[in-house]
Amino acid sequence: MKTKLLTSVAILLVCSFGLIVFADNHEKSDEMEKLVFPKAYTVKAVSGGGKISGVIKFDGEVPEMKKLEITKDEAVCGAEDKFDQSVVVGEDKALKNTIVYLMDISTGKDFEKNPKIEIDQKGCKFSPHVQIVPVGQRITMLNTDKVNHNVHIFSTINKPVNKQQTKTRRRMPLAGVKKAEGPVEVKCDIHGWMKAWIAYVPHPYFAVTNEKGEFTLEDVPAGTYKLGYWHEACGSNNKEPVTVTVAAGGEVKQDFTLKLKK
Amino acid sequence: MLRKRIVLLSILLGFTLFISIQVFTQEAPEVSAKGKEVYEESCAHCHGTEGRGDGSAAENLLPKPRDFTRGLYKIRSTESGELPTDQDLFEIITKGMPGSSMPGWETQLKTDERWEVVSYIKTFYDGFKESETPPRQISLKDKIPYSDESVQIGKGLYTDLGCIECHGNVGRGDGTSAPTLTDEWGFRTWPANLAENWNFRGGSDTEDIFKRFIGGIAGSPMPAFEGDSFLHFGLTSEESKRLSVMENKDEMTPDEEEESGKLYEKMDEAVLVALDRVEGTELTPEAQKMYDDAMKIVYEKSWHLANYVKSLSPEKRPETAIGNNVLRSQYMAEDLPILGDEAWDTLQESYYPLVGQVVIEPRQFNPTIDSVRVKSFYNDTEVAFLFTWDDRTHNTEVEENEDTGTSYEDGIAIQFPVKPPKGPTDEKPYFLWGGKKAVYVWQWKASAQDQITELTVKGVNNVTVQEMQGDLSVKGEYNEGQYRLWVKRTLATDDKKDLQLESGVFVPIAFSAWDGANGDNDIKRVISSWYSFVLEPVPSSRRFIYPPIVALLTVGFLFGLRGFVLRRNAVSVETDTEQ
Repeated sequence: MKTKLLTSVAILLVCSFGLIVFADNHEKSDEMEKLVFPKAYTVKAVSGGGKISGVIKFDGEVPEMKKLEITKDEAVCGAEDKFDQSVVVGEDKALKNTIVYLMDISTGKDFEKNPKIEIDQKGCKFSPHVQIVPVGQRITMLNTDKVNHNVHIFSTINKPVNKQQTKTRRRMPLAGVKKAEGPVEVKCDIHGWMKAWIAYVPHPYFAVTNEKGEFTLEDVPAGTYKLGYWHEACGSNNKEPVTVTVAAGGEVKQDFTLKLKK
Repeated sequence: MLRKRIVLLSILLGFTLFISIQVFTQEAPEVSAKGKEVYEESCAHCHGTEGRGDGSAAENLLPKPRDFTRGLYKIRSTESGELPTDQDLFEIITKGMPGSSMPGWETQLKTDERWEVVSYIKTFYDGFKESETPPRQISLKDKIPYSDESVQIGKGLYTDLGCIECHGNVGRGDGTSAPTLTDEWGFRTWPANLAENWNFRGGSDTEDIFKRFIGGIAGSPMPAFEGDSFLHFGLTSEESKRLSVMENKDEMTPDEEEESGKLYEKMDEAVLVALDRVEGTELTPEAQKMYDDAMKIVYEKSWHLANYVKSLSPEKRPETAIGNNVLRSQYMAEDLPILGDEAWDTLQESYYPLVGQVVIEPRQFNPTIDSVRVKSFYNDTEVAFLFTWDDRTHNTEVEENEDTGTSYEDGIAIQFPVKPPKGPTDEKPYFLWGGKKAVYVWQWKASAQDQITELTVKGVNNVTVQEMQGDLSVKGEYNEGQYRLWVKRTLATDDKKDLQLESGVFVPIAFSAWDGANGDNDIKRVISSWYSFVLEPVPSSRRFIYPPIVALLTVGFLFGLRGFVLRRNAVSVETDTEQ
């Protein structure tokens, strides 16, 4: 009995220690994980710009995608198996959902006019998993599920958002934000496994890698830039961004290989 | 000339002074040394010196102390996404937050000290400095008074808006999403049990409920239902009802498609105006009117919902089962009622508040079971108890979960001394699972709901399952976030280790309960101290026999007396005649 007590005390101690360590990590990684934005950005038509493209690959043993436990609304949410989207690796170790962007561009093209940005909640899954949103741009949350969802955006610089999107509401537009921020987590608390990311960005030189791990930044004014990346599970290169020089009309290739962050 | 220069100089000086004062009042943050001092003395233990909610005591607390660096405040009088007002912060500091570790500082800190702390806390988040306009406050005008009708409308909204997902069908916080909720810091959090409103962090007045609903609870999973996120924003009540009917059909007719399409267009228009407003665009008078009309309906419905939530709790927290409220088991001559019998409805509940066990490791600092409520009947041979307690989750086994940790089995234990104390001064066993003096315990677990185990316990490490298990009748059930347990036992038993019950004797009683989903297991649990109960003595049945007998005897005696007097008189008359 005494040993049992001792063991439980020991377990508690280990657990609380673990919690502290975890909390610490959480804080630190939080600070590192944000995107880097230029202090100011001026729109100027770009003619004869260059192109930066590349492929992001995953380095190391590819973690198995965890099957998500569907704890409610099984008929809608559990119709097909769902997997954790934090590391999506395709053929040839191509890494999906990585944001690649120019950190320090101060002059360049304008955003596409009136882009239609929609995040769907279908089968109790957000898609896309990573979404770039221009500052000030409204986005529309779709609910094709006929179950209740709540759209909870963990903004800290912009106003936090947490709105119920009831089952009958197919479309719910969200207000544009004032400042560049992110990526911030998007969650549905009703279905705790639903997670996505939004990055509110001040200029259009952002791309998200596709299934093949590819990205392209076009119409880049000739010059030298810091090229950054961000990935949910692999972190960022904020500390040592890659420098690329783009010539007018030229194309620069830059690939990255990412490891899971420790 | 000189005079002119002096005047000019003084004007210039005055102007400079004016400007500098202006600049000073705008730029200088109102950080007083006093606020910092009070904060570090009274608040930093939990909230941390840098306001990150990571003080030395924070580790054990849940809900966690607020992290002030993100500007997310749960209890606000302001709209969704807005910062709190100074008054909001002041009130929380003054009154504290029920159901959490945040105490009220009304008596500990002077009024000006509390205001100083408000100013100091605001320095932890830049948003306070940067915001140019005061936060938009939620309007409390046109409150709809409480009525059964209002409650009924609110009840419908409660379902339509999806409150049941977390708060459950009848509001006990037992919705199907409840077990997986976390706050924005990743810590586990539970939806409020709406039937126990004395634990609401921001107060239990209808206005408080209304504000939480409209503005949401920032940082928590509780969304805001203000404006365009409200059901059918921009439609009149009639239009909304009509649309609900159509939406609930499996398939709409072409006419209905057209009709609903028009209503959706109307909604979209209003929603876009609401977004303009949030984004800070000035509204045209027409748009403003459209918004105001739409909001009038939202506010009206929100009052109905607040009235419904208010209706789910008793008017005030029940009085603890001491003094006049002590549990008095009621005598009945016939068989005792079983679980679900209407007879139970005739009794008042006795309320026993429970607290986390923090005496020995492992401790429970974050209890989720508020109380256990008890009713009892007895007859000449048996006693029956009905125990009721709320638990958001029904756990009948040990389960491992990567995100929420291990959950254990739910249960309750009812503890008595083996022998009732001889008088008020006679020492009782140790309240927590006994000690040198043993306690007699009924232990019930959720996995075997019609079974109770009798224990003899002499301290947490000295638990013995009684060899002779008595013949107890037990029935337990879990329904909508609530356990009900019915137990019946004979007043007297053959086992010396059992408590023997007699009417009129005050018997100590104490409780332990386990919410397995909250990590309660073994020693980690919620507990009560000793209370007492009594089998209310029946005013003796002789009361019903003696008075009639006395009355009869008296009447008989009087008749006898009358007869005697009459006879004596008759005799004396005879004698007279003889004379």
